[in-house]
Amino acid sequence: MNSDLAVEAVGLERSFVTHTGVLRRSRKEVEAVKGVSFHLERGELFGLLGPNGAGKTTTIKMLITLLLPTAGTARVLGYDVVDDVREVRRRIGYVFGGDRGLYERLSARDNLRYFSELYGVDPRRQKARIEELVELVGLTGREHERVEGFSRGMRQRLHIARGLLHDPDVLFLDEPSIGIDPVGARELRATIGSLVDVGKTVLLTTHYMFEADELCDRIAVIRSGEIVAEGTPQDLKRLVTAGRVLEIETYGVAPDAVAAATGVPGVQGVVVEERGQQQVLIVQFEAGAEVTQTVLASLGDVHVGRVSAREPTLEDAYIQLVTQDVPG
Amino acid sequence: MTSVRIFFIGGLMSYRAMFNWLSPWILIPSLVVSPICQILLFAYIGRSAGVGNDEFYVIGNALNYAAIPCLFAMGATIGGEREGHTLGIVLATPARRIPLFLGRALPVIANGWGVAMVGVLAGVLLLDVHIPGSAWPAILLAVVVASASCTGLGLAMGAVALRVRESAVLGNVVFCLLLVFCGVNVALDDLPAWMAAVGTWLPLTHGIEAARLLADGSGLGAVDGLLLREIGVGLIYTVVGLALLRFFEDESRRSASLDRN
Repeated sequence: MNSDLAVEAVGLERSFVTHTGVLRRSRKEVEAVKGVSFHLERGELFGLLGPNGAGKTTTIKMLITLLLPTAGTARVLGYDVVDDVREVRRRIGYVFGGDRGLYERLSARDNLRYFSELYGVDPRRQKARIEELVELVGLTGREHERVEGFSRGMRQRLHIARGLLHDPDVLFLDEPSIGIDPVGARELRATIGSLVDVGKTVLLTTHYMFEADELCDRIAVIRSGEIVAEGTPQDLKRLVTAGRVLEIETYGVAPDAVAAATGVPGVQGVVVEERGQQQVLIVQFEAGAEVTQTVLASLGDVHVGRVSAREPTLEDAYIQLVTQDVPG
Repeated sequence: MTSVRIFFIGGLMSYRAMFNWLSPWILIPSLVVSPICQILLFAYIGRSAGVGNDEFYVIGNALNYAAIPCLFAMGATIGGEREGHTLGIVLATPARRIPLFLGRALPVIANGWGVAMVGVLAGVLLLDVHIPGSAWPAILLAVVVASASCTGLGLAMGAVALRVRESAVLGNVVFCLLLVFCGVNVALDDLPAWMAAVGTWLPLTHGIEAARLLADGSGLGAVDGLLLREIGVGLIYTVVGLALLRFFEDESRRSASLDRN
């Protein structure tokens, strides 16, 4: 373990036992996280990407001491998340996405005051600190209003202010931009970006690839509880830049047609994206291969709309990583 | 210093944040009208049955109703955190748990005291109850002790809310138990021995008995044993509550029970 690192996870595992039935109880064990290892340098903004149920939140909950790992170890700023619980808690901030997690009947300012007390913020500094954070997250003028009247974006910004009250060195942001409108999300990204500028270490989970691409220094992709790729956004894009991407708009494409397209020589993978009435086939193929006509022919009678070729994006890399094997 | 602030300031803010009866539209019917109705109901049942006197029912039911805020508000200050998804955030803070949770009890005790005293005053105004002026300070004290003791039980209930979501259902059951077993409307001497024995291990029982004696003109010295026993019962529940909070918090880390129904 390296105490110079902000976060270090080694072989983290977490399984859950669930029971169903009353008279005939059956026991089921689910492995949510299976031996995850990664680290965050101090001052780094690290993204943890993965589909729902991949183990992102479980991993974060272990790092913030709310869950005990079943196996493996993790340290935050050199403190063990199992043995040095209070030391870890003093030094971290935790923010999650969504509407909940605030005291609705209290004003934004009182929410922040309460958590200032819980984090032991110096009473002489409390007022100024709250004002500073209210300004940082753009809630100046609204801080005396009850949270129950706040929009989702305002709540999310208040969550971030709460997470920063005690000036933590490491901030865990679990899907902070979920459900926020584009303007709010942009403001939130600017706020998150500014955290690194003031020396914070941030672990961010998000579903939005452009967000990860714009913000993160490094990214780990987690799938079914395992990290399947790790690197800079450029590194991950390179996983698919050995090829190109063909987008084919279709209407009513059947699974056998997708399988036929996948079998075309030169095609590395096909993913179907539902867009309203359309199904868009995202076909990744080897550079230099001429697959367009063959793929279209393999679709048979399927009604085809617009067809276009483009360079791969981080989202393509992500989809490839979470749906199929990583190319060697 | 931090723990002291968490106890006093944090406790009050948490109470304001979590106890949803603070709106006058809910508070007055729940904590003023309902206890008066309960007092009137049992006083008139007693009158029509020719059993007991108004003072017996007024004091018993007024103190019994202190259990509503003591049980439900205390349960809400912990269970409500779970509903509002703030519990995980609170538990992820380094705040010491004893001041964090005990601080929430202070406003609840004051609330329970207020509810019981409104009931006693209403009984004095509406029914045939005469309490000597000199007895009031000691009665105020007895009601504080009974509210604090009952809040200890509320803390234990709140701790259970860390594990199960149905703390309000549990509160209703416990309220009924207190109504039956604590000598609220039937004196302990008239209850079957096993019920009276259970009553002696519940909060309110000794407080109600002490308040009745005080209202009848006894001095504080005559009821100090009862008040000490009431305090002792309350302390037992408080210690059990804090131990349960510790246990269920550790359990939530082991089994992710905060995320389950």
